[in-house]
Amino acid sequence: MNVLGEREREAVASVLASLEQDVSVTLELGPTAAPVTLLAAGGREIDSAAQTQAVLEDVCSLSDRVTLEIVEHDEPGPWPRTTIGPGLVYLGMPLGYELTTLVHGIVEAGRTEPSLTEASRERLASLDRDVAIDVFVTPT
Amino acid sequence: MLLAYKLALASPRIQARAIEASEFVADADRHGVHAVPAIVVDDRYAWAGSVPEGAFVERVLAAVSA
Repeated sequence: MNVLGEREREAVASVLASLEQDVSVTLELGPTAAPVTLLAAGGREIDSAAQTQAVLEDVCSLSDRVTLEIVEHDEPGPWPRTTIGPGLVYLGMPLGYELTTLVHGIVEAGRTEPSLTEASRERLASLDRDVAIDVFVTPT
Repeated sequence: MLLAYKLALASPRIQARAIEASEFVADADRHGVHAVPAIVVDDRYAWAGSVPEGAFVERVLAAVSA
C-alpha cells in the first residue's frame, strides 16, 4: 500500500537517487511500554506501528539501495523504533515534517564520506568518551 | 535533527536518536520539553531550537564538559 502521494514518491525517489552505498533500515515493533492515543485531524485514531511500517515500506521501495527489515518483539519497549544504517535511531512515527528526517537520514547514511565540515569533525575528534544525543521532534 | 545524525556518522563516539515527543510523552515530560526541536545530551536537557552546524557542535561539546 502506498501511503505517500505520487508527488511525494517522486520527490523521495529523486533524493534517494543520490545514495552512494547501500543502506539497511530496521523497523522494530511490539507492545508499547507507555501507550498513548494519537488522533489525526477529524478524530480518527492513529495506529503508530501500522503507519510507521507503511511509510517505511513505501520509502524503502523507492531505491534499490535501501533494504527494510522488520523485527517483531514480544516484550514492551520503545516501539516503533527505526534504525537507519549504522545506528541512526528514530523513535515513533516519521510522518509529516519528520518524513524529511527519515529520508535525509537515509541519504546521510548512504554517503561514503560524512557531510559534516572538516572543522566540525576536528572539534568532535576531541571527544574522549561516548555521547548520546536525543532530539525531541514532532511531525508538524 | 539531521545535524545530530551527521554528528553520529562523523564520530564513532556519538549516538543520535530522534524521539517523537507526542508518542514518547513521559520521556519528553521528564526532560521538560516544551518546544521542539529539543536537544538532550547524555540524558540531560541541553537546549531547544535549531542552530547552525558550528553552534550545534559547540553546544554538544559544552554540554558534555558541563
